Amino acid sequence: MNIEKLRKRFIPMSETMFYILYSLQEERHGYGIMQFVKELTNGRIVLGAGTIYQSLCKLEGDGLIEPVKEEDRKKIYVITKAGRTILLEEARRIQEIYRCVEGLL
Amino acid sequence: MSNKKAAWFSAFINVVPADYEKWLEDLALQGWNIDKIGQWSSIRMVFKHTTPKHYRYVFDMQAAPKKDYKATYEQFGWEFVGQMASAFIWRKEYDGERPESFSDAESVIKRNTNVMYAVMVSFILFLITAVALTVCFILFFNTLNLSDILQYVLGFTLSYLFTLYLGYVINKIRKNRLR
Repeated sequence: MNIEKLRKRFIPMSETMFYILYSLQEERHGYGIMQFVKELTNGRIVLGAGTIYQSLCKLEGDGLIEPVKEEDRKKIYVITKAGRTILLEEARRIQEIYRCVEGLL
Repeated sequence: MSNKKAAWFSAFINVVPADYEKWLEDLALQGWNIDKIGQWSSIRMVFKHTTPKHYRYVFDMQAAPKKDYKATYEQFGWEFVGQMASAFIWRKEYDGERPESFSDAESVIKRNTNVMYAVMVSFILFLITAVALTVCFILFFNTLNLSDILQYVLGFTLSYLFTLYLGYVINKIRKNRLR
């Protein structure tokens, strides 16, 4: 899929999608993603199994992440180049919002 | 009191996935538990009376699950209870906060949409059957004897009724897609 289509499909993305993509800058499996995101958000976001499975399918289907290996039936994923491009663009969008709210608070 | 009880057509009565989950959860709280759900459980399932259990059940629809589907759920501590066609039933014992498998609105809606699509496939099949039977009935009416006519009428009436029921199911799931 070209980057223009990916932009339309993923930006803006849900908080769940953002954190999953963000956490895959390092190789992780589903459960590892949940633990990482839980720690990152001080327990505010606890991703469920169904949500993670759905999101990983969608991200993999569109080539934003890829499986790197399998350890006893658990697939381990990492972000791709296209995934990183989308993640950075989304980060810039969030930065813009951040600047706005800074003035607000 | 008998220590077994059968539930008929449970999946046809509790058509909203969240209601089906709650129905199983309430039964478990009363001590009615099931070891295994299978292909025919949507029509008849048998519960055994045991000690009450605090289970969170999950109804998930996966037409083509990848091979890490089950592994992902199991890693999160879910127990696979069984499968009826593409509907997977999971459960987890809990105490305190009710565990969720779909932790955001987007994925709850996606789960419900998957269920709706699956029902739509049956809806279309029954509609095609009903219409085809009606067309044949009209085309060949002159050649039919009384028993043929009765069979045709019974056939398309049942097909139309089931199509109507499935339409009602689709609409009910759509209205409840947020939970």
